[in-house]
Amino acid sequence: MPRLSVRLSSVTILCLAQITTACTTAGPTPSALGSIASAARSATFPAASRTPVASRTPGASRTPVVSTSPSSAEPPAATLAVEGGDPVAGQLGSFTWNEGGSDSPWLPGTPVDVGAGEVLTVTIADGVAVDDWSARRVPAGTTDGVGAVRLGGGPAPVTFDAPAPGSWSVQVLVRFAGGLGSAAYYWQLTVR
Amino acid sequence: MTTLAGPQHATRWARTTRWLCIGVGAVAALTIALGGASAHGPDPTLSGGPFGQNQDLRFRWRSGSEPTATIKTAIKAAAADVNTSRGSKAATFTYDASGSNPIGYGIGATCGVNGLACFSRTVPTGFTMWLREQGHVFDWGTLKWCQAYTTPPSGCYDAQTIALDEFGHIEVLNHHDNYDNDADYEDAVVQTFSRTKPTAGWNMHAFGRCDVATLQRQYDMQSWTAKYSTCLDLTTVLTLTASPTVVALGGTTTLTATLTVADYDSYVRLGGNPVSGRVVTLQRRAPSTTTWANVGTMPVGASAGTYVLLQRLTADAEYRAVFASPTTEGLDGDISPTVRVYVGGCLGAAALDIAIAIPCY
Repeated sequence: MPRLSVRLSSVTILCLAQITTACTTAGPTPSALGSIASAARSATFPAASRTPVASRTPGASRTPVVSTSPSSAEPPAATLAVEGGDPVAGQLGSFTWNEGGSDSPWLPGTPVDVGAGEVLTVTIADGVAVDDWSARRVPAGTTDGVGAVRLGGGPAPVTFDAPAPGSWSVQVLVRFAGGLGSAAYYWQLTVR
Repeated sequence: MTTLAGPQHATRWARTTRWLCIGVGAVAALTIALGGASAHGPDPTLSGGPFGQNQDLRFRWRSGSEPTATIKTAIKAAAADVNTSRGSKAATFTYDASGSNPIGYGIGATCGVNGLACFSRTVPTGFTMWLREQGHVFDWGTLKWCQAYTTPPSGCYDAQTIALDEFGHIEVLNHHDNYDNDADYEDAVVQTFSRTKPTAGWNMHAFGRCDVATLQRQYDMQSWTAKYSTCLDLTTVLTLTASPTVVALGGTTTLTATLTVADYDSYVRLGGNPVSGRVVTLQRRAPSTTTWANVGTMPVGASAGTYVLLQRLTADAEYRAVFASPTTEGLDGDISPTVRVYVGGCLGAAALDIAIAIPCY
């Protein structure tokens, strides 16, 4: 599936590049297209030699993953993981689920240590599909989510790069497929 | 098959490319304007659908979990906020000691680990709501309701705002999709995360425009003259008819414009609505000319969404009606197709018993 997404993205970028070039010049040059496609590839594929440096903060509490069905009172747990690292369940904030819901503040999040630039992947338990998602961060300790900065978003899969070194409260907002509802999950990232 | 070559091909290619570029530019501009994904628009909805139009949902305090006096006041105030700011035929909320919908407060709250407040809804029969108790200790801090203090401290939550948020959910609203920087936070009370005093939006006591937009789509307007939320961007359809379309010299025709909301499925209940009480202008020009002149504002007609103006003609004329995009509501302007009215000569003039400055031959 990721491979298919990459292929579709590349095709889209190529088409856009071709049209854009046609709008500004007499015609697309192979070298221009090549550089755009190569940029798309490098942005999509992490370097194979990347060393996983992430690990869960020792002693950090870890919410057990609870089996969830649409008839449950709460949406399923979400875990964040980096390549080679342990998945860490996020703090569940506001959600709507099965014609019910709960409202919370911007939460500090479950502590996780990651490396700068590490690719973070969020997985929803029980195979619940995600329609679309967005991720934002504020400096840890910020109240009310003021000054949030976008980290990524779009259709599934939920994958984004760790922010710059520092301590961040990260909100990942997901909208579940099939009109099941939506939920905000939080992690406190310490980025080295 | 026709084969194009040389200048002809080049011209067609240039034309095609130009239109392609315009199209791509338009798509790009639209994408940028929309900010990607579904950010900033009417609130999303919950899948269970709305209650009945103007359905009166009566609530009582949950036995054994009654709110404190100040929280009760805040919840009742929030119910009143719904009723005054819904801008639609959304359900209303009324306190009734024997009401069927319980609102609770305290340690029995079923709001998950981190919830300040929560709800459940069963359309069309009812709902439940809970607010956590003052002083509840979360992982992230201790809950302070502003209503619990004579002088509310920074960091407190306004129970009236939070209850309004819950009532919004009960209506049908899901959390608003904000811009990434939350610059539009105050466009909705039904938010993914609640704010505390004194952060902007901590004490909203009326639905925001994007809450109202969804309530309007799901429950419809209170009247055809009511304003559409500026969080909407509805296409309108303006038509114009003349009756009769042929008049005698100096005769009169009645021009009737009809303004409606375009009938798109995505507009839910709003599609096809007549739009009354707006400013619709009639314009005229002589046939075979290009410059339009304003005739005047068309008075409101007898039927919903209609605007009517009589015109006396001494020569053929073309008319169109114009509805300019208003800045105070979420309707797009439209211009009607052109209607031509013919003057049929002098035969009918005598019957009208009018003085005509133009000689009849």
